[in-house]
Amino acid sequence: MVNPIYIFIIALGVGFLLSLFEKAGKILTMTVFYSALAIMTFISGQWLIALIRGTEIMTLTTAGFPPPFSINLRMGLEEAFFTFFINSLGILAGIFLAPKFRSEKVYGMVLYLMMFMGMNGLVMTRDMFNLFVFMEITSVATVSLIAIDRNLKSVSAGFKYVIASGLASTFFLLGTIFLYRFTGLLNIEMMAEALNYASGQAVFLSVFILLISIIIELKPFPANGWALDVYEAADCGVVSVIAAGVSAAMLYVFIKISALLNQNLMITAAGIGTVTFLFSNLLALKQDNARRLLGYSSIGQIGLIYSAFSFFRLAGFTPGDQTVLLVVGGLFVNHFFAKAGLFWLAGIVKKDKSDEWAGLRSSPLLLFAFAVFILALAGLPPFPGFFAKWQLVMVLSAKGMFPAIGFILLGSFLEAIYLFRWLGKVLKTDPFEPIKIKPWEAFPVAVYLLAIILTGGFLSGIINQGSSLSVLYLPVLFVIVLFMLDFLPVLVKNSLVIVVFSYYTFRIMPQLSGYRIMFGIIFLLGGILLFIPGYIKKGRRLGFYPLAVMMYVGLAGLLLSENTLQFFTSWELMTLGSYFLIIRGKKSEPHALSYMLFSMGGAFVMLLGFGVLYHVNGHLLELATLARIPDMTGIIYSLLTLGFLTKMASIGLHIWLPGAHGEAETDVSPMVSAILLKAGMFGMVVLMSAIPAVKIGFIDIPYVLGWLGAITIFLGNLLAIYQEDAKRLLAYSSVGNLGYVLFGLALMSHLGWLTSITYALNHFLFKAMLFLAIGGVVYRVGTKNMYEMGGLIKNMPISFISVLIGIIALSGVPPLSGFAGKWLTYNAILQKGWYLQGAVVIIGGLIAFLYCFRLIYAVFLGQIKDRNRQVKEAPLALLIPQVILMIAIMVFSVLPGAVLRPVGKFLENIFPAGGLNWQAGTAFTEYGYWNGYWIMMVTGGMFMMVLIWLLFIDRKAQKVKQFNIVYAAERPFRPETTHVGYNFFAHYRKALGSLSRPYVTKFWDTLTDITHSSADFIRKLYNGNGQTYIFHILLFVVVVYFISFGG
Amino acid sequence: MLIITVLGIILVVLGLWGMLTQKNIIKIIIGFSIMDTGTHLLIVSIGYIKDRTAPIMDKAVGNASQVIDPVPSALVLTAIVIGLAVTALMLTYAIKLFEIRKSLDINDFKELKW
Repeated sequence: MVNPIYIFIIALGVGFLLSLFEKAGKILTMTVFYSALAIMTFISGQWLIALIRGTEIMTLTTAGFPPPFSINLRMGLEEAFFTFFINSLGILAGIFLAPKFRSEKVYGMVLYLMMFMGMNGLVMTRDMFNLFVFMEITSVATVSLIAIDRNLKSVSAGFKYVIASGLASTFFLLGTIFLYRFTGLLNIEMMAEALNYASGQAVFLSVFILLISIIIELKPFPANGWALDVYEAADCGVVSVIAAGVSAAMLYVFIKISALLNQNLMITAAGIGTVTFLFSNLLALKQDNARRLLGYSSIGQIGLIYSAFSFFRLAGFTPGDQTVLLVVGGLFVNHFFAKAGLFWLAGIVKKDKSDEWAGLRSSPLLLFAFAVFILALAGLPPFPGFFAKWQLVMVLSAKGMFPAIGFILLGSFLEAIYLFRWLGKVLKTDPFEPIKIKPWEAFPVAVYLLAIILTGGFLSGIINQGSSLSVLYLPVLFVIVLFMLDFLPVLVKNSLVIVVFSYYTFRIMPQLSGYRIMFGIIFLLGGILLFIPGYIKKGRRLGFYPLAVMMYVGLAGLLLSENTLQFFTSWELMTLGSYFLIIRGKKSEPHALSYMLFSMGGAFVMLLGFGVLYHVNGHLLELATLARIPDMTGIIYSLLTLGFLTKMASIGLHIWLPGAHGEAETDVSPMVSAILLKAGMFGMVVLMSAIPAVKIGFIDIPYVLGWLGAITIFLGNLLAIYQEDAKRLLAYSSVGNLGYVLFGLALMSHLGWLTSITYALNHFLFKAMLFLAIGGVVYRVGTKNMYEMGGLIKNMPISFISVLIGIIALSGVPPLSGFAGKWLTYNAILQKGWYLQGAVVIIGGLIAFLYCFRLIYAVFLGQIKDRNRQVKEAPLALLIPQVILMIAIMVFSVLPGAVLRPVGKFLENIFPAGGLNWQAGTAFTEYGYWNGYWIMMVTGGMFMMVLIWLLFIDRKAQKVKQFNIVYAAERPFRPETTHVGYNFFAHYRKALGSLSRPYVTKFWDTLTDITHSSADFIRKLYNGNGQTYIFHILLFVVVVYFISFGG
Repeated sequence: MLIITVLGIILVVLGLWGMLTQKNIIKIIIGFSIMDTGTHLLIVSIGYIKDRTAPIMDKAVGNASQVIDPVPSALVLTAIVIGLAVTALMLTYAIKLFEIRKSLDINDFKELKW
């Protein structure tokens, strides 16, 4: 094993010798330089492996004296970990900077080596004064490298940086020397033992000054303007080292000196970190400069990491505890790889504005890397940040530190806003300028891309001791395989997915029981069915298949989930996959963002709910414990419900849905509408079947949910009638339909749940069919506006039939399955006695007729427009699933018992009484009976009679041309004049007045505005003046002192 | 030796005051340097023990009990060297800033903000 002291010897030695090598030529110099970095990495890497295998920790002392008579360095697991990461960054950032080093004098390389030597020292030394020395070496080298470009921006940023870090290290020196005065020691461990806070305020003050100096180096809010400037102005390669490497070293210094802190100071550190995380992410919202944005994000992430560490110490964990390593290490690794990678990408893209990064699309590798880094920062699975954040929330929950969790989740949410806005812009902005990719710039990015994926898998392995996540491993592996096979044409990939998915379904379905079977049918069988329309696409359809499959992996994971971790991971995978499906639509970018934000917000609320659950039920993850919550049931229930309702798009949380579903691609709309919405319902079923009754104070939550469902039905349907866009009409209709589902569940009775499940199945069948049929029309006609369609019945007869069947099923008139839902609903309402809500539901149901009529009239009936005369029937790939769905609806309508009886059987476990009484095919309740078969026969018979009668009396009828009509003594000659399509229900809008106004949208818009304008207001703090930044630092020190002294 | 401690504190405060009030970059750097010097005085004063001499082992000093605590004295040497390097770096920056903008007023370098 190589002695770690050689890291310093090599850095220093090579640093001094480089000037000599320069005489022998640039190639030799650079070879020596990179070899030095490689050897440094090798040494720390070798130690890392050895220490993991259990080698003893190595302690180095100067001149052979033990401390306190000498300076000692340590190479333990933590040190090896940090130095390995830092040194590997050294090589990669060095490769990235290669052209700079080539063109500059040798001093650039010398400074670079000094910088890394300083960082290694910061990590390894155990001596306070030595720490000061390494701090200064690192900062002098860093500051010199910041100005490597010698332009105004980087030089003025560098000056602000040098002043601020000079101030910080002066504080550090003062703190150190006073501590020496009180303890007579400089070794950190010994000092920590000797320190006696009781001996006076001066000790507290000394430690405080020491702590604050390190916190300033970690860039706390608001004393961090100087750092932001550097992130914005310096060379990207250098910034990547500052953001990832120097921050890492300082972070470890913080961890080391945390041994000195008392409770008060630990709270101070935790508080500053949390505030920094929250405010950095808030201020980043208004940022349009990509690198400054990354700067804000870096500062926030670092704040999160040291506050997490401090919270753990406060919660009684020792620094070496495995959980601490997992969380702090996970957050750190996540930040480290992602931030270094993103800064390198900034250097490759060479665009200041974050809106102008779409050029990344010219390289699939870099685009993939960008997306992965963004998702990792946003804390989504399967990346390390997700697992770390999960564990952090659980540990903090176990200790009851809920305010801290609240701040952390709020900060994470703000972070998600700007990250996904950026991702959306990159994915969708057109046109873009292709970027030029140089191998030495792309290589480091690729390495860290791989690293972040692998560490994600590694962490999931550690956290997954109960092996609950392993059901997700193979499917996620398939997603990765699909990414690798993305070069294949659609035909191959689509078939492959259908085959593998079918096999997977075949394996999974037998494992399901109870209500999960029903959801399995929708999620899995429905999923397979809805891949068939994919055949209409040509070319490669890059990125579609892996992400679509990821959504289904998440859905399948939900079905199989036994504990909250697995549930939440699956939930997030599903969200992630669906986001990328939704954003594929041409105009989907803003809608996908709003979908993602509602989903992320909902997920964070849900996470908090799982945290509270973990807190009260004795630190267990099992979902089954929902059924025996000793305390805080109302809070858990409300939080989880709120999370699920964002996916169910209940009114108030629905504004993402119309755009997301309406603008999605032809085959994506049915997936996200017919299938994805049921995920929220699945969550509600899991929750409500475990907790039968819940109240907060005197408020009965299911009662509230009942009203929410009723209002959702009413408003969702009402908004649907005003849409000009056929797909948006269907989307709003989904809002209303899911209202029925929620209403039924909220009834908390056997019949109510039967209603809800019937509706869910029905909605899947008819909404998939309608979206496919209308999708086919849009595909052929080329517009989504209904007033530009009309009279398509002859051109697209099969689509017409499927829309006809769809709206009959939707509106709930006999004989189709929708009637079953309606009949059950009214019975359930009567049984429960919710008459007022019942009235709202019934009126809502009536409104549905209006949009159903509009849909079929404006699209298929009326007069065909000239430009649509040549329109053909939809492609076969769209028609086949429609026919299958039609058959399914027919079967379900004639034999409802086949589905309802097993569901009822299962529901008896939850609600033993009040179910349907079945006698053969007839269902009885206390209010009446119903038989699907006879209804079909009677309605069908009546229909036939009328039809035959009409055929009989109309046998003399003759066919007329389109304009063989007279309107008000005028003969129309254009189809438009005889076909009312535009603003179809204008009179209703007038009549209903304020009911149709977009209050909800306005509410969310206002909230967004307030957030952004407050961010804009606060960030004016950073006025760009270096002197103000000095003032910020001093004021920060004083204010924090009084807060921590007082508190 | 109390007077040295007090003087050190005065210099630190004075230096900070200079950094906060002076608009000229050179004067800000001078402020930093004064603060640095104040810190050094503080370090030296902390190691002082009454009636003892400098920790230089030669014939005049018989044994270790006659000298002051040598550690702060050793530290201050390092601190002075580092302070020198940092000040030099700051001055280099001042030169560069002046070369680019022909100004030394700190208010003239506010391109990067918010």
